[in-house]
Formats: sequence, structure tokens, C-alpha cells
Amino acid sequence: METLSSANLVTARVAVDSVPDFINGGPVKVPCFNQPWKRVPQLESEEVHLIELRRRRKKMKEQKMGAEDNVPLDDKARRMRDLLSSFYAPDPSTNNAPSNPGTLDAINTSSFDADQYMNLLMQKSNLDELLQRHVEMAAEIKNIDTDLQMLVYENYSKFISATDAIKRMKSKIVGMEANMEELLDKIMSVQSKSDGVNTSLFEKRENIEKLHRTRNLLRKVQFIYDLPTRLGKCIESEAYVDAVKFYTGALPIFKAYGDSSFQDCKQASEEAISIIVKNLQRKLFSDSESIQARAEAAVLLKQLDFPVDSLQVKLLEKLEQSLGDLQLKTDYIENASMESNDHKLGKVPDSVHITAHEGSIHGFVEAISAFRVIFPDSEGHLIKLAQDLVVKHFETVEQCVKGRISCANLLVVLRTIWTDVLLVDEVLSEAVLPGFSLEAAQNALKQYVASTFNYLLHDISDALLRVNVSSKEAAEENPLQVALEASKKALLQGSMDVLLDFRQLLDDDLGLLVQLRDFVSDWVQEGFQDFFRALYDCFFLLSGRKSSSSQDQGLTAGAHGEKVLAGLVLVLSQLSVFIEQTAIPRITEEIAASFPGGGARGYENGPAFVPGVMCRIFRSAGERLLHHYINMRTQKVSTLLRKRFTTPNWVKHKEPREVHMFVDLFLQELKETASEVKQILPQGLERKHRRTDSNGSTASSRSNQLRDDKTNRSNTHRARSQLLETHLAKLFKQKVEIFTKVEHTQESVVTTTVKLCLKSLQEFVRLQTFNRSGFQQIQLDIQFLRTPLKETVEDEAAVDFLLDEVIVAASERCLDPIPLEPPILDRLIQAKLAKWNEKNPITP
Amino acid sequence: MQGGSSGIGYGLKYQARCISDVKADTDHTSFLTGTLSLREENEVHLIRLSSGGTELICEGLFSHPNEIWDLASCPFDQRIFSTVFSTGESYGAAIWQIPELYGQLNSPQLERIASLDAHARKINCVLWWPSGRHDKLISIDDENLFLWTLDCSKKTAQVQSKQSSGMLHYLSGGAWDPHDINAVATTCESSVQFWDLRTMKKTNAVERAHIRNANYDMKNNHILVTAEDESGIHIWDLRKPKSPVKELPGHTHWTWAVSCNPEYDGLILSAGTDSTVNLWLAPTSAEEEATSESIAEPPAQRADPLLNSYSDYEDSVYGLAWSSREPWMFASLSYDGRVVVESVRPFLSRR
Repeated sequence: METLSSANLVTARVAVDSVPDFINGGPVKVPCFNQPWKRVPQLESEEVHLIELRRRRKKMKEQKMGAEDNVPLDDKARRMRDLLSSFYAPDPSTNNAPSNPGTLDAINTSSFDADQYMNLLMQKSNLDELLQRHVEMAAEIKNIDTDLQMLVYENYSKFISATDAIKRMKSKIVGMEANMEELLDKIMSVQSKSDGVNTSLFEKRENIEKLHRTRNLLRKVQFIYDLPTRLGKCIESEAYVDAVKFYTGALPIFKAYGDSSFQDCKQASEEAISIIVKNLQRKLFSDSESIQARAEAAVLLKQLDFPVDSLQVKLLEKLEQSLGDLQLKTDYIENASMESNDHKLGKVPDSVHITAHEGSIHGFVEAISAFRVIFPDSEGHLIKLAQDLVVKHFETVEQCVKGRISCANLLVVLRTIWTDVLLVDEVLSEAVLPGFSLEAAQNALKQYVASTFNYLLHDISDALLRVNVSSKEAAEENPLQVALEASKKALLQGSMDVLLDFRQLLDDDLGLLVQLRDFVSDWVQEGFQDFFRALYDCFFLLSGRKSSSSQDQGLTAGAHGEKVLAGLVLVLSQLSVFIEQTAIPRITEEIAASFPGGGARGYENGPAFVPGVMCRIFRSAGERLLHHYINMRTQKVSTLLRKRFTTPNWVKHKEPREVHMFVDLFLQELKETASEVKQILPQGLERKHRRTDSNGSTASSRSNQLRDDKTNRSNTHRARSQLLETHLAKLFKQKVEIFTKVEHTQESVVTTTVKLCLKSLQEFVRLQTFNRSGFQQIQLDIQFLRTPLKETVEDEAAVDFLLDEVIVAASERCLDPIPLEPPILDRLIQAKLAKWNEKNPITP
Repeated sequence: MQGGSSGIGYGLKYQARCISDVKADTDHTSFLTGTLSLREENEVHLIRLSSGGTELICEGLFSHPNEIWDLASCPFDQRIFSTVFSTGESYGAAIWQIPELYGQLNSPQLERIASLDAHARKINCVLWWPSGRHDKLISIDDENLFLWTLDCSKKTAQVQSKQSSGMLHYLSGGAWDPHDINAVATTCESSVQFWDLRTMKKTNAVERAHIRNANYDMKNNHILVTAEDESGIHIWDLRKPKSPVKELPGHTHWTWAVSCNPEYDGLILSAGTDSTVNLWLAPTSAEEEATSESIAEPPAQRADPLLNSYSDYEDSVYGLAWSSREPWMFASLSYDGRVVVESVRPFLSRR
């Protein structure tokens, strides 16, 4: 085969050598028609040459073609291989599929169109390129021819060598069968011999195995007999782990044979184990041991089937006891407060208590972490324990809150608690203590806010009730004024203090409080709302309007008690006005400044503190209380008048000799009222003869001018005191407005009181029937009243009118209405005045 | 008159204190009123509201021997009424019958059916059982409570029983429970007392000072309204006599009389010495009670109980009577003898 191929190669080389003259020297020049400026790519021109070569293949048929001699051999071999593989490839068509017949690449495809390709080439290439192409193509064609030849030769040589191999195999296989049979015999004999050896060795082997088992057993027995001593050694060396391992290993044997053969041994080892258990327990309970050691001990104990649960319970109890130590004592808080006081004074705070507490909490935290390691399944208990701690802490806080703790102290306590909580949380985050304590703190703070307002309320009512005490002592000149000032101060100052306190709560950066800030804001606002509501209720409770019992009490307790109560009502009324006009605006301002509305409360509920509503409530309260005060005053006079008018038999009245003493009592009452009013109420504007503030009950439709004329006329006529004229005057006179709106001024209150009393007098008179003397008595009394009343009262005309009305009413109810002669009237009045001046030298 | 009210006026000759609805007259809205004049001849007026409701017509004018302090129309016979009168020195009470032929006579005499002349003290009032025909009468003087048996046909009245109110309890008036024929309330200086007429024993008391007038609610059992001199109007549930169910401010001066509407629940009239008549709406049902407890409620939630204040009076108003035939009408009487009949219709719609 080799000789064949080399000869072939030689012929090819010769053929190539003969070609070049034809290709290179060819005078063919192809002009570049179309695109002389464009250089045709090298590859393309190569292809063109190839085509050219193929076209000329027919002309060169007679020429031998071969591979170029300068191509390396291995390169050639590779090409051969490729060709062979492509020949044997399953689907040769796939290679050519993508190429387009319209391009110069299409030369290798099955759909190659030689004419088209030629045209294309002619169009694209110039002469030089075409020539070059021609040369290249000729070379390629030669190559391809050589390859084809090579293929044929190679196939042939392979075929020949295969035939040779088959021939050789055929000759060698003939003697094989006899050898095989020989081999089979030999294998059979080997097998029988090995069987013999096996059977002869079998007995011995069994024997050995038995012996081995016995030895193992004996070793075990030895181990068990040695166990007590070994355990003892372990105890000595405190190698409890080994001891427990040994013992648990021996345990099944003890269980099986402990009652018979190994009794002593069992007892001994059990004793040893009990010692171990004791030691382990001690180890477990001793705080000095490391946590790992203790945990190990617990694990070992568990392995020994020791009731670990009871141990756990015991340890828990111990922890609970330590919890008791942890509890914040009230004295601790007092100390804390003292310390804070000290701190304020500039001293170094004595922090013994705090450090003591810190120490115990650290101990607790360590214990908990140890416990968790020792008893991994004890979380539930620990969580409960930790929560108990928080609950206890907050119970203490609640107690403190009940005991009127200052804000600073509360903060100290809360801070301590929060530190504790954070510490415990580090080791026991499952307990969710921060959340838990947040909830508790929320409650505590809410209570704190509520109780603070409660105390404020108490302070104010205390300040108010001091009226009673101080007036009994009668040392102070103006008990009512003092009470009013005191309660005003208590209210405003107290409110400001409260706000300051709460401000402190807000400003503190304690984690616990930061989260509650919005709530605190809301609570404070709500607190104020509720506080004012409560204050309102309290006012009415104090004024006795709400409870009928206190009013009865007032009646039965005598004049003194009644008087004090009345004064108190006046104070309350004035305080309401103060709250409406000063306190609420101030507080609103303060709240707006320092408590930016908390968002925790839903918007639909509106703001918690509604100053407008409160102002309205207190304005109406002020009016109601003032009315109540006047009512109380007039009621007293009413009782006086009732007695005066129901007691005597007016039909059989004797001639008047002097002004009746009820007048004195009446004036006395008025004086008291005036003095109370002067203490508290502001002086009104000068407003005599002004009567425009009618409440409409007796509204007049006539002009002011006319009314004044009539009043003046009635004044002039009054002197004559003739019944008929009075009557007539009344007919023509404009009705004077009796019931006008009460204002918070001295004059208004006194005037209203006087008017109401005179109206009552008139009504009492109307219910009686008088004889002449009775009528004259009334006339005398009323005439006397005129002067002092006019001095005290703002609205002279109304009082004059009412006094006239009383006389008219008396005359109407008189069987024989003949008035006293003016001289007698004058004389009696003068006598009374003299007596009056004697008694009260200062009062005119 | 405030708000252009439709008051219909009628003038008496003299001063007067009492007016009464003629309940038995089912065909007309009529009122009886009597004058209070110490020295003149007193009159009893039978006033009737004209069919158009625009004016008051004097149906009958009868002379009465003495000034009249109390007058009550018989609830089952429109011609019968009672008066309490005074001569100035002594007091008397009598049952009168309007003569049948009064239309023809100019100033006919009233026919005296019976004199309730067992009293020794100042008589305060005579009560008829307000709910219907009942032959018993109650008269109250300062110290005693009398129960009379009245026989109109025989023209006799006999004391059936009598009870002293006890020491230091000066009675001032009373009211007969329309729901219970045997229960009567009397007012005295410091309390309202309740009596069982069968035993003539005190059953209950409401401790309250200065009660002027008391009136049972016609619609609701156990509800009593009292008027007090200074402290306004109180509504009591007699099962809970410790504290009032409701409190109304009453009048600027004394509240003299109260009257519950016979038809509309919670509608109360009060008359006062400040020359006004006030119309209140104060239902006493349970939920109302609850809201009235907390005084600090926003005012918007508590409607003003005062519906209207009639103030077109020259003098104190002592007499007050709802019409039972037209329960939206009422008559008021001020001391100067002026009767005003008024309709509360405009205020009913607000309920």
C-alpha cells in the first residue's frame, strides 16, 4: 500500500509542476467593469478562481492532477480524514443548505449554477483578480483530484489488510479445544481439595469462636465486678461522665441478673451511683460552679433517670425567691426620691440601693441564662417568671401612683424597670418582655395621669372647703376672698404643675416612654377634659344642688352652716368664671405648646380636649351657681318672711307701735350678702337707673322717655302715700322690670337678691287678710325699709316699685285699708332709725 | 305676646286666683273661675271657648257670697263645682250647683248642694277624684284631711273619715292620684305626704321644703310633679322618693302652680309669680332619666326642656288649667283677673 501511495504522490507532483505555465502565464485579463474602485475580497476572488478551474476542468481532462507538493503531510492527512468523514456522514446535504446560489459562496452547494457564478464573477472582478482566481482555482482543482485518488487507494489497502487478518485468525483457532478440556479437569481437582481442607478446619474454628465469646462474657463480668471500684475511682477523680457511662452500660445486666448473681455488685455500684447523684445535685445547685458544669450535671442526672423535673421545680422556686428580692420596695422608691432630692441639692446621690438592685437583677439574669442552658425545655416557666417580675414591678408602680408619687420619682422607677426588662430580654427574648411591659406601662401611666388629676381635684376641693374651717375660726377678715384666691391658685398652679410633670414624661428619652408619647399626649388632654367635667360635678356637689340631703341639712343646721355654704356657692360661681376666662385658655395654650396632638386617638373621635365646650359648660355653671347663691340667700329671707306672715293673726293685729324686728333681720341678711359679695365679686360699672338688661319676662313696649316720666311722677306722688293714688299710679305707670339678668358684679347680685326678697314679701302679703292695724304695720315696715334698701341697691326704681306693690297688696288684702297718718309714720320711723343708729353707729 | 302667640283674653272684674277646667262638659271647652275680692261682691264665671276658638264667651255669671280661694269643677257633672271661700276672718267650703235656668236669669243664685262645714282651721282646697264618677270628696285644711261622702241627689255631704296631719305639719294643698282612687298626696311646709284613704294612714313621704303645688301625671303612674317657691319644679317617681327624677329650673321668682297635660306625655305647664307661664317638655321615660343624670353633657345633646315662656301677664299667675276636651289648650289666670286661653299646638310639632 505504501509503495502504491508514494508512487501516486510522485505522479501528482509531476503533474503540478507541469501546470504553472498555463495558469500564471495566461494572457487572460478580465477588466473591472462595474466597480473598479471597490476591492473584491480575497476570499471571493479565490472562489472565482475555483469556478474558473471547474469550468476548465473539461479542457484539462487529459492532464494528470495532483496535490501541491508544498502542502505539509499532516495537513494533507487531516484533509483526507475530513473528506472520508464527510463521505461517511449521515446527511451531507445539511452542509450546503444555507448558502445562497446567488452569491459567490455557493460554489460548494448542491444547487451551484456555474453560469450564474461565472457572470457574477465577471461582474465583480477586474482582470488581475480574475487571473489570480484562475491560478488559484487551477491549484484547487489539482488538489481535489489528488484527494480523490488518495481515497480510492486507501480504501483499497484497508480492504486488503482486512482479508489478511481473517486468514491469519482462521489458521490459529484450530488447536484451541484440547487445551480447554485440560483446563476444566484441573479446576475440578482444585475444588475437591479445597472442600477437604474446609471440613477438616471447621470444628477448630467453631471452638475458637466459642472461646472468644466466653472471653467477651468474662470480660463483661469482670467489668461489672470492677464497676464499684471503678465508680469509686471516678468519684475520686470527679469523672462523673465516665461513671455514668459505665453505670448505664452495666444497667441492662443489673436489670437481668441483679437479683441473683450480681447482687452485691449491684448494691455496691448503686451506692456509688447514689453518691454520684448527690454530688451531681450539689453541683447543679451550687452557684459557684460554672454553668457548663451545671448543665452537664443536669444532663447526667437525666441519664441516670433521676427525676429532673423536681429538680427543675426546685430551682425555679429558688429563682422565684430571688424574684422576691428583686421586687421594688416602696422604701426603695422613697430612697430613690430622696436621692433625687439629694441630687437636686447638689449632693452626690447615695446609690447603695440602686446598686443593690442592679446586683440582684444581674444575678437574676445570670440565673435565667444558666437555667435556660441547664433545662432547655424550661422556657415556659422562665417566661412566666419574667412576666411575673414585670407584673410585680408594675404593681409596685401602681401602688406608688396611688400614693401620689412625683413625676421624677415615677421616671426613676420606670427607668429601673425598663433597664431590668431590657436585661432580662437579652437572655429571654421569647418572653417578649418589652411588649409586655409596654402594655403594663401603658396602664400604669394611664392610672398615673388619672390619679394626678384626681389629686388636683382634691387639692382644689380642699382649698374650697377651707372656707368652712377658716370662717369658723373667724380670724380672717375675708375668708371667702382667701378661699377664692387659694382655690384659683390651686387650680392654675396645680394645672401648670401637672402639665410640667407630664411634659417631663414626654421629654424623657426612656424607650418605654418614647413609644407611649402619643398616648400620653392623648391621656393628658383627655385627663383635662375629664378633670374639668369632674370639677364641674364637684362644684355642684359642694354647692349642694345635686343632693337634696345637704340642702335639708343646711336648713336644719342653723343659720351659721347655711351661711358658710352660701358663701361657698358664691366662691364656686366666681371660680367657674375664672376657669372659663383664665384657666382654660391658659391650659389650652400650654397643651397646644407642649403636647402636639397625639395621633393615637382616631380622628373620628375629634380632639380629646375641647376647650370651647368646657368654656361653655363653665360659663353656664357660673351663672347657675350665681343663681343658686341668690336662691339660697332669698330662701333664707323667705323663711324669715314666712314666719313673720304666718305666725300672727293679722285680722286681730294691734296698732303698730314700732317697726317690726323682721326688718332688722332682713337688713342683717342683706348686709351679710353684701359683705360676702364684696369679698369676691368685682364692682360693677356705675349703672344706677339703667334698666336695659331685661330678660324679657316683663319686657316693655313703651319708650324709655315715657317710662322715666312715669317713674319720676310716681316718686313725687309716693310721698303722699294715698292708697287710691298709688293704685292709679300703678295703672298708668310703666311696669318696672323686676327680673333682670344677673351679672357677676356686686351690685347686680345684691339688687337681684333684694328684688326677689321684696317680691316674696309681696306674695306673702297677698296670702293674708289684714285688719287696719295689720295693714298699717306693713305700711310702717315697708316705709322704713325704703331708705336702707335704696342705699344698697343699684336699681332704685324697681325697688321703689316693689315696695309700693307690697303696700298695694296689703291694702287690697285689708278689710279696712286706712293708712297711717304721715306724722305718726315719720315719728315711728325716726324712733326706729335712732335705735338703729345706736346699734350700728357706722351704718347710716 | 311672644312670638305672635294666639292667646285669647277674658277679663274678670276683680282679682282672682283660681280657674278650673269643666271636665264634664264634653261639648264645649269651658272653664270656671272665681274672683277674690275682699270687699266687693264676688262672682263665678263660666267661660266657654267659642266654636271657632277665637273668643271666650261668658256662659254664666253667678254671684258668690265670699272671696274664692279655691275652685274645682266636678269631673262628672258639669253643673257642679266646689269652692273654698273666706270672709276675711273665717273660712268655708261648699259644693254648688249651677241653676238649670241660668240662661234666662240675669244674675242667678247658685244652688248650694252641701257645705263642707266640719273644718275648724283655714281650708286650703277641695279635691275631686280626677278620673271619673266617684262619690267621695277630699277637703284639706291647715291641719286635717277630710274624706266626705257626697250625695248630689239628697244634697248632703257627710264626713266619712278624718285624719290629722300631725304636729307641726301645716298642710297647704293636695292632689288626688288619678290612677289610684285610694291615694292622695298632701303638701305641707317640709314635705309631700301620701295617704291611703282606706286606712287614713300615711304611706309615704317626699321630704322637700316649700312645696307650693303638686300635680299627678295623668298618663304615667307614680309620677308626681311639684312646684316649689325658690327651687323650681321637680318630677318625682313615687317609687323612688329619695331624689327627684328630674329637675326643671322653674321661674325667676316662685313657681306657684304646675299642671301635667292630660294627653301629651311629659308636657308640663307652670305658672309663676314672675308673671309668666312656662311650657316644659320633660319626658320621664327610662333613657331620658339616664341622660339627665350626667349634668356635664354637652348642651347640644340635652334639649332645652323649656318649650315656651308666655309672658304677656301683668301680674303673678296663680291659676292654671289644661282643657281636658282639647288637651292642647290651656287657661291661665293672673292675679289681676285676666284669663288667657292659649294653644300649645305650635310646640307639639317639635316633639
